[in-house]
Amino acid sequence: MTQLSITSLSKSYGSFKVFDGLNLEAKAGEIVVIFGGSGTGKTILLRLIAGVEEPSSGVIAIGGHDVSDIAPEHRGVGMAFQNFALFPHLSAAENIATPLRAAGAAEDKVKAGVNKVAKLLKIDHVLTHAPRELSNGQKQRTALARALAAEPQILLLDDPLRNVDAKLRFEMRLELPRLLRQSGATVLYVTQDYKEAMALADRIAVLAGGKFVQTATPEDIYMRPATLGVARLFGDPSINTAETSLEADGAGVHVTLGGTRVQVAADYKAHAGEAVTFGVRPESVDVSADSGLAAEVVAVTPLNERTVLLLQTPSGWEFLASLPSSAADIPEPGAKVFARFAEAGTHIFDRQTGERLHG
Amino acid sequence: MAELIINKVDKIYRSRKGDVHAVKALDLTVKPGEIVALLGSSGCGKTSTLRMIAGFEDVTNGTISLGGKAIHTLAPAARGVAMAFEAYSLYPPLTIGENMSFALKASKLPQAEQEKRVKAMAEMLEIADILNKYPSSVSGGQQQRASLGRALVRDAGLYLLDEPMGQLEPQLRAVLRGRIKHYLREHKCTTILVTHDQTEANALADRIAVMEGGVLQQYATPAELKARPANLFTGTFIGEPPMNVFNAEVKSNAEQVSFVVEGGTTLSYPAAQMSESLRQALGKTSRIALGIRPHALHLGEGPVKGKVVACQWLGDQTHVAVDVAGRTVVSVSQERVSRAPGSDVALNVAARDLHLFDPASGNAIAHGGQPA
Repeated sequence: MTQLSITSLSKSYGSFKVFDGLNLEAKAGEIVVIFGGSGTGKTILLRLIAGVEEPSSGVIAIGGHDVSDIAPEHRGVGMAFQNFALFPHLSAAENIATPLRAAGAAEDKVKAGVNKVAKLLKIDHVLTHAPRELSNGQKQRTALARALAAEPQILLLDDPLRNVDAKLRFEMRLELPRLLRQSGATVLYVTQDYKEAMALADRIAVLAGGKFVQTATPEDIYMRPATLGVARLFGDPSINTAETSLEADGAGVHVTLGGTRVQVAADYKAHAGEAVTFGVRPESVDVSADSGLAAEVVAVTPLNERTVLLLQTPSGWEFLASLPSSAADIPEPGAKVFARFAEAGTHIFDRQTGERLHG
Repeated sequence: MAELIINKVDKIYRSRKGDVHAVKALDLTVKPGEIVALLGSSGCGKTSTLRMIAGFEDVTNGTISLGGKAIHTLAPAARGVAMAFEAYSLYPPLTIGENMSFALKASKLPQAEQEKRVKAMAEMLEIADILNKYPSSVSGGQQQRASLGRALVRDAGLYLLDEPMGQLEPQLRAVLRGRIKHYLREHKCTTILVTHDQTEANALADRIAVMEGGVLQQYATPAELKARPANLFTGTFIGEPPMNVFNAEVKSNAEQVSFVVEGGTTLSYPAAQMSESLRQALGKTSRIALGIRPHALHLGEGPVKGKVVACQWLGDQTHVAVDVAGRTVVSVSQERVSRAPGSDVALNVAARDLHLFDPASGNAIAHGGQPA
């Protein structure tokens, strides 16, 4: 069942268009991550849904009803922010209680609601504390508890892990899906961290240039990116690229990388002659082959359990390979190797439009 | 190219509120041409150390020498040290290009050579297109690269890089790490980089000095730090995601060594997988802290039973959180795995991947069946 639907939504400030004609549907209980760089309008989108700002045009419907004329507090929406935004003069319990009180709940209902959500988020032992007495992790949980307290149909989370340390961010990333599912709410989750997006999302909506350039499962976003821009945003190190063109002859279809012809899937034949950007993910580069693209290892940079090689072809094309650090025979700087590219991580994009060609 | 020797250096900041002992009896040698990372969280003493080497802070006790010459009493400019600052510190009225060539003014290099160097450095750092712009008109990442370029373009006995890549655009970071490492090696630059980011330290450094509370915890290669952490602090600090640590009781007999982990799981290994000296050492202790890295905890058959909390695929690896007797343990696979939340799983770990620590002192007892 569609719980949230956004149709032809546009927002401008004067002549500045933040976005134009956004469409998005989210099913009940679904976690949709809104992913994009800073300044792409992610937070503004949440504010429009919450009702604290008005769209320039378009329709937002919750549970099948247009909410244009419904006040924020009656939309069934809960929201948590990256800076927590707790009321400093209220205890954690009173902070969590605010949406329940705003909805006019009776005192015993308020108490029960606060206790239930505090227990879920493991902050029931600090409910009497003022925000300044809470650790960053507890503040963040309190903010989340407040957003969940009134059992909203729609939960809007604006980069909630941004201001907590790396360890806590990692722990929360593992814990959040279970919490969110228990709440039953439909979640729109804003982040700039691709790992967080992939880890938490049922679907990811990539916002860039005022549009959703791709809305799909993490698997589709990573394995079948719609554009070069999307491919670059997901993955660390990010995808290697080279500008080239597709050529076909009797031997098959190939591109030229650093002066060497490299065979690609025959399915690209329909695009022969086109100017393209060739892309290959670092983890899809195999350097243990005894033939392929000749390259020299410039530098070896171990990253935790993976090791990244900076490689260069004789004509100067630089690219990265990422191997498990446990791999046998990781080459040394100066070593000459041959690279081969696994098809699953190889993508070819139209050089003009940036769109991925379907091989 | 020069050797740096830090000998019993203390830094104490005096104030009316009480003294702060920021660096405690630090001994550290950086070999000529070596790249060393000072790694730790904020307040660990790494930046105080860097500032003492650069000459922006006095040493309270001890000596610092570079290329055989004591430098700790010299003015910063007389130390032969080039530094890239975390806050960039570019000269606002000079262009990016002028900022970089300013560092060469005192070098007596011919003008043409100076220009050639700046150009090559700018190309390496991908800022050749902004050399005529002013710092205020370029992004933070570009300013950071300019600051790094200004330090590296000079000839210096020692290069000090303070959080040199923290602001870099993610799409550029991995390539620039490789290029910078290659450059430092080619030019045999003796380098100290200060960072709180272990990824950066691992990627660039020959050796990493892990600091905490003003004390050097361990000074070793990235591989050694991973395989043989000296104590529980280093063990849990190095490695992402962090090491799983369990309190466990040791039960051993002639055939096998067993660890009874809190919550009831028992991990048993044939005695032959533990060295004789380790078994003797374990005979005297009953309680240990058992460390297992997420990458060494494998899904499949095994004695560790639990329920999946989350299974998160990140493109090149999968993180699986498992509830084992009420606590969450993390397993990482380099492959793509799928396990539904709530499903039952079993996990195993090989004897060679066990890290044993003394729970009281935190010091390592054994790694992989051998005494630490």
